[in-house]
Amino acid sequence: MTPITEQILVAYLDDALGEAETSYIERELRSSGELRSRLRQLLTDEDRGEHSVGAIWRRQRLTCASREQLGSYLLDVLEPDHRDYVDFHLDLIGCPFCQANLADLKDQDRDAAPAQEFRRRVFDSSASLLKK
Amino acid sequence: MPNESDRLLVEAIRKRDPDAWRQLIARYEGRLRAFLHRRIKNADTCDDLVQDTFIGFLSSLPHYDDKRELQTYLFTIASYKLTDHLRKLGRHPVQQATEDAAGNDPLLQRPDSSPGASSVARGQERERIEADAVARCLGGLLRDWLDKGDFVRVKVLELLLVKGWANKDVAKELNLTEQQIANFRFGAIKKLSDHIKAAGLPVHVFPELHPEERA
Repeated sequence: MTPITEQILVAYLDDALGEAETSYIERELRSSGELRSRLRQLLTDEDRGEHSVGAIWRRQRLTCASREQLGSYLLDVLEPDHRDYVDFHLDLIGCPFCQANLADLKDQDRDAAPAQEFRRRVFDSSASLLKK
Repeated sequence: MPNESDRLLVEAIRKRDPDAWRQLIARYEGRLRAFLHRRIKNADTCDDLVQDTFIGFLSSLPHYDDKRELQTYLFTIASYKLTDHLRKLGRHPVQQATEDAAGNDPLLQRPDSSPGASSVARGQERERIEADAVARCLGGLLRDWLDKGDFVRVKVLELLLVKGWANKDVAKELNLTEQQIANFRFGAIKKLSDHIKAAGLPVHVFPELHPEERA
């Protein structure tokens, strides 16, 4: 695992890390008072109105692949350099939004009936708000 | 930037078109579920949070800025729903990590951040303007590099800023020299700082833009 940087701690507070990285940080936090102290300092910094440029980049998805690009990635028709970048963004950066989009694209063939039923349920539960 | 198809869909939903609302649900429910499933393994709970996300979107529609990308907005709502859920279970990272020996959660002792508090709302608005200014400038730089196929420069900056890696670690990972990394960092930070200053916003609230003051 790479060092636990401030940017990674901010992503942890945003719940924006992958499962393995979240578990790793929680293990380290349990055993390290110094790390807990750094986390508290970050909360104080946020309360003071400080920004993390990295967090803005992540939250605004400034380098996320488009849905079409991820489709091309799955079909393996992206240019090699571009494909390499998408790999980097998905795996080394661990972007949760692109990972979710990719998982959804891979799952397009899932059984249509439960998906339709769920969509109906969401619609029924929210349609009254549409009329307000 | 929102895509045209999403923009038209939201426009129709604002006019209370139920078919448009069905289409939006069909378009986004799968990726929202996949996003939440990363932290919530129970399928029923995941479905409930997806449903809450869509209800949250409709409830906040009067405040939704059409210039924002719809997908990013929906992911943001889903993140809030996830945070609320984990907090109720006592599983939110802040609670996990910052409870003191007596079991008190410092987060609960922070000032009230409810939108109704006018001073906090003013602070949030200012922070949003600052964050939007950085996103515009940085987004423009990054799009330019991506369009030119300059993926190395994007990778360098992403590791430095999003992951917070040190120059030497980035150099090793990308097989570049530390001097190249330092040059990339300097150029990008200067452009961002100049942009923030030109917009009349304070640079001091962005610690990464003046790292020497943090050392």
